[in-house]
Amino acid sequence: MSSSKAEPGRILGWLAALGLAAGLVMAFGVAPPEAVQGNVQRIMYLHVPSVLVAYLAFGVVLIASIVYLWRRHQGADRLAHASAEVGVIFTAITISSGAIWGKPTWGTWWTWDARLTSVAVLFVLYLGYLLLRAMVEDRERAARYAAVLGIVAALDIPLVHFSVYWWRTLHQPPTLLKPGPPAMAPVFLVALLVNVVAFALVYAYFVSKRVALLRREQEALA
Amino acid sequence: MPDHWAFVFAAYAVAAALLGGYWRHLLRRQRDLERR
Repeated sequence: MSSSKAEPGRILGWLAALGLAAGLVMAFGVAPPEAVQGNVQRIMYLHVPSVLVAYLAFGVVLIASIVYLWRRHQGADRLAHASAEVGVIFTAITISSGAIWGKPTWGTWWTWDARLTSVAVLFVLYLGYLLLRAMVEDRERAARYAAVLGIVAALDIPLVHFSVYWWRTLHQPPTLLKPGPPAMAPVFLVALLVNVVAFALVYAYFVSKRVALLRREQEALA
Repeated sequence: MPDHWAFVFAAYAVAAALLGGYWRHLLRRQRDLERR
């Protein structure tokens, strides 16, 4: 890769690293302990941004899959593939941080309530998406099947988000992405938003790097 | 409520391992491609 092409990716990488450092400072240095939960609530600055970025990643898979099926654009297929891979990583962070937060606050690592189950289904759906891509040898066919699955799997995203309203769950209602003002003090909200931006930058960095690798791998095979 | 710092650090450590692991995976793939 030429240095001029690598430069935007490198800048994005440094921005992501700076964002993560700022997020850690906000989560551990600026935000005070929460009145009821104490310091364990600091897991929120990891858990909420990771699920929001997972929503973003799978939303991108949905749009890129529609574009691929409509225009057969290879770039859209590469974007969907890369975004699904990175989305699975952020979903794994969501599930692991949620389980670790659940033990001291709910008394259990896991319970089959609607929110947790729908997130687990989301994780399995997109793991299946990646497995499908790996299993089908013909690239065009793999892209077509994956695009269909990428559209169908996205139906689980609203199910995850609204599960806390539609069913009685142990999980609390959404912290962000809800009607009305956020139900938290500004210092918590700012710390959370800094981490959301940091995670979004990490997502953008990973996806740009993965898309470039996919393009080079395809060129090498052609 | 007790602070449960061990849970806080465990959550961040798992996230760091996942993000760092994926980053290393991407760098390894890039190196493999450059070697070809």
